[in-house]
Amino acid sequence: MKDSRIRYFAANMERLSRRDRVFINNPVIMQGLGLAPIVIAATTIQSAVMLALATAILLTPTRIIAAALSRRLSLTVRAIIYAVASGAVYFAVAWIMDILFANQTLQVGTYLPLMVLEPLVIKRYENPRRERITTSFRKGIITTIGFCLVLLLVAALREMLAFGTVGGIVMFRGPAWPMASMPAGGFILLGFIAAVWRGTVAAFKRNVGKGAKKLQ
Amino acid sequence: MSVLLQNLADFLLVALAALFVQNAVLTRGFGVSRLTKLVSDSSTDSIIFCALLCTINVLSALPAYFANLFLETPEIWYRDYLRPLVFVLCAALALLVVHLVISLLKFRSKANLLAVLPMATFNTAVLGPLLIMAGQNFAFIQTMAFALGSGLGYAFAVVIVTEGERKMNNRSVPAAFRGLPIKLIYIGILALAIFGLTGHRVAI
Repeated sequence: MKDSRIRYFAANMERLSRRDRVFINNPVIMQGLGLAPIVIAATTIQSAVMLALATAILLTPTRIIAAALSRRLSLTVRAIIYAVASGAVYFAVAWIMDILFANQTLQVGTYLPLMVLEPLVIKRYENPRRERITTSFRKGIITTIGFCLVLLLVAALREMLAFGTVGGIVMFRGPAWPMASMPAGGFILLGFIAAVWRGTVAAFKRNVGKGAKKLQ
Repeated sequence: MSVLLQNLADFLLVALAALFVQNAVLTRGFGVSRLTKLVSDSSTDSIIFCALLCTINVLSALPAYFANLFLETPEIWYRDYLRPLVFVLCAALALLVVHLVISLLKFRSKANLLAVLPMATFNTAVLGPLLIMAGQNFAFIQTMAFALGSGLGYAFAVVIVTEGERKMNNRSVPAAFRGLPIKLIYIGILALAIFGLTGHRVAI
């Protein structure tokens, strides 16, 4: 790693650990959010794309609407506002998904409407601090990117292991690990991915720390 | 008498199925994000959380059943778009009832209960069973039994994952696997055990 990069990461690591929702503080890998759709419904790239699109349409508008409405309110009222806002935005999500995918949404079953109360979408109500609209927009976007990245990664691996294809393209004959399409396989695979990801983040932080010490 | 016994048997059968073979967490992953946090969070009492979740599950199933009957009328072509919002409102109604009851009672851990209540209400472990019940056109008895069984099933999953977490919290687990990764692998093995018991995947 270049010295300038080491200096940058060393100086901003704490901020990055809080703000980066893609790699260092991924919502799925680090915070355990959005697990249900990933481990159960994301068995193919196609189902993952549907879930990713639904999340993209649902998460940020819900967060913005709820942030605008829930100011100086109690935890219970904030929770109701976030949940109802999510349910209301879902109306548009379901309509768009119906136009784009029609009956194919049956592949993801209840996991599409279930996104309404997924902690990934509504967990912000637990934080009593007011959130500015611009902040909710920015955080909504980066959280969506972080979630979709893991969703598509897990779905691609599950499809490849369970069916021998990726996005319908044949990679090898026959399934390598049929259990990958089952909930048990989803949990186990995500567990291993989380371990590798977390190990990589820890190694990255260690390297930055060591590099910063050498530069001093 | 035979009708009563028939209904009772139906209730027990559906509740037991929801508790074990269709366990909300281990077969459908409902509420798993919250569960992974709950088992390692010493500030939240798991027993209180599960008791509240069970209560909310049953209380929200009651209005949700009737709301779903209304949604199934042919004029409402947009029922699938609206159903999650309606069920969220049913859960919110249940939350308000429980909130009112807790507020009226006098006991020491009242504040703790009120702090946990929204998390136990707006949870996929509450919405998920309601969506399954609507999708499978359950009768009233089956709806209530499934709601109760799902709540108890969540509590059952919390107990076994908490016990697993206690045993896995040692140095023999590699550093990268500690925390969420090993918990997910453990839940995966439990899910596999349930699959071994039933021999088939549940409908999602």
